[in-house]
Amino acid sequence: MSDKVSGNELANGLTCSINGGVQSIPASPSKTLLTLLRDDFALTGTKRSCDIGRCGACMVLIDGKPFNSCLTMAYQCCGKQITTIEGLSAGGIGSIQQAFLEEGGFQCGYCTPGMIISVKALLDDNPDPSDDEIAEALSGNLCRCTGYGGIWRAVKRAIELIGCQ
Amino acid sequence: MGMNIQEATESPLVWQPQTAEEAWKYKQSYGDDGVYIAGGTLLRTQWEAGTAIPPRHFIDLNSIPGLNEISIGEEGLLIGSQTTLQACRANPLLQRHFPMVIAAVRTIAAPSIRNLATIGGNIVSVVGDSITALLAYDAVLVWYNGVKEQEEDLADWLPEAAKPGNRHDRLLLRLLLPFKAYRKEETPCSSEEGQVNSDTKLFHAYHKIGRRESFTPSLVTVSVSGLLTRTGVIEELQIAVGGGQTIPGRLEEAERAVKGKIVDNAMLAYLYDRIIELYEPREDIFASAAYRKRTAANLIVTELWKAFGGLSEQGG
Ligand SMILES: Cc1cc2nc3c(=O)[nH]c(=O)nc-3n(C[C@H](O)[C@H](O)[C@H](O)COP(=O)(O)OP(=O)(O)OC[C@H]3O[C@@H](n4cnc5c(N)ncnc54)[C@H](O)[C@@H]3O)c2cc1C
Ligand code: FES
Ligand code: FES
Repeated sequence: MSDKVSGNELANGLTCSINGGVQSIPASPSKTLLTLLRDDFALTGTKRSCDIGRCGACMVLIDGKPFNSCLTMAYQCCGKQITTIEGLSAGGIGSIQQAFLEEGGFQCGYCTPGMIISVKALLDDNPDPSDDEIAEALSGNLCRCTGYGGIWRAVKRAIELIGCQ
Repeated sequence: MGMNIQEATESPLVWQPQTAEEAWKYKQSYGDDGVYIAGGTLLRTQWEAGTAIPPRHFIDLNSIPGLNEISIGEEGLLIGSQTTLQACRANPLLQRHFPMVIAAVRTIAAPSIRNLATIGGNIVSVVGDSITALLAYDAVLVWYNGVKEQEEDLADWLPEAAKPGNRHDRLLLRLLLPFKAYRKEETPCSSEEGQVNSDTKLFHAYHKIGRRESFTPSLVTVSVSGLLTRTGVIEELQIAVGGGQTIPGRLEEAERAVKGKIVDNAMLAYLYDRIIELYEPREDIFASAAYRKRTAANLIVTELWKAFGGLSEQGG
């Protein structure tokens, strides 16, 4: 049988890429990616809300796809490329963030990092999505403030901005 | 109150078997203290709710090569148990030949959860929303039992798996969705219906009814598919129902009772009554059994009526 992979800590720590930089840290294999990002890496743009996969505030990209970091455990991140909201802003405000600012896509802003990550995943995969595709892509992101009107406009505007680039 | 998972799962050991045999051996070694983990989305929910105790040993099935592939076999489409629901959702073969599975997967959670959650985990949960669609296609499960591979009809496995105290030691390797001769020439199924030839018509529909429009647990799930002749005779019919904590199942008695009959008002009324009689949903505080029965019967009868209506419009 193969060797035991991990005890209290992953054998060689968790090694993955976070926002483009390779990181290695000791981590319990069942620790959530959300806790790692916020507590170990001080990347607090990723928000904690429901902690059980229902709100989308904790959304990050793993190898370019959206994942709920509150459901994803450390051992599931080994060797992966993780991008948080901070990683999207590294080169300044991007088109999606610009669109949220222009269209009033937020009020308190707590859901916004997760929303922007989901929109980024959608538009990277499909730059010209239908309304149904937008609704499906954002179905796991809840917003308690906006009533979704501003968010919907922001997604449409982001499509325009990206299309013009 | 639920247990604090972070604390309770502080020190699990994660085993990453390279073969089904190794995974099986880990399970045998650790018994109830070792759990097969696919995406872990359901397990974390259970640990959080306190309905399952976090185990000391995680047996990570993602490390076994080849279990996340979708391919065409001799008898049908083979779907590896570790295939994520989102990979199923995007798969052209599933989209073309098994559209009810796509419709079902699309209703499960949201894309970000489907990127982690697997079809195998959904099936082994016994109440996953993909199951009614898979039942309507006569899905076959392929298990590893510690010695060899074992095939079992999904419909036969479900009632056994749901029995209290049943230990899930076997490893689900893949499922087989058989190609049916009468569906062979089905056109690519982005549309709701397909014409097999000028004399017959295929129909299929999957519905999930919840308390919200999307991202909601199901109250009722229904899959209905079949083949109608130009004159409205039901040549083939599959009806599967589930939803909530109800163990999904086929309504074979209802299927048999109307096969060979013409779709008309009397037949639809009869079918409605049979469904109310045969479907035994579990109720909860959100919806009564009577509500669930009526919902399922209405959906199924409506689909047959629509299929026949479509046929008449084509001059049948
Ligand atoms: C926010 C949220 C929303 C959800 N919404 C839905 C929904 O709408 N509909 C729905 O059906 N489900 C829903 N679920 C439940 C869950 O995500 C799905 O059932 C999912 O498909 C489970 O897959 P998994 O890979 O995560 O399973 P896991 O959690 O890894 O495993 C589930 C069970 O199956 C066993 N298992 C897994 N793979 C195998 C195998 N190959 N062989 C033997 N045993 C195995 C595990 O030991 C465990 O007992 C939701 C979950 C969350 C967190
Ligand atoms: S905090 Fe992860 S989905 Fe709500
Ligand atoms: S802006 Fe407040 S939750 Fe969305």
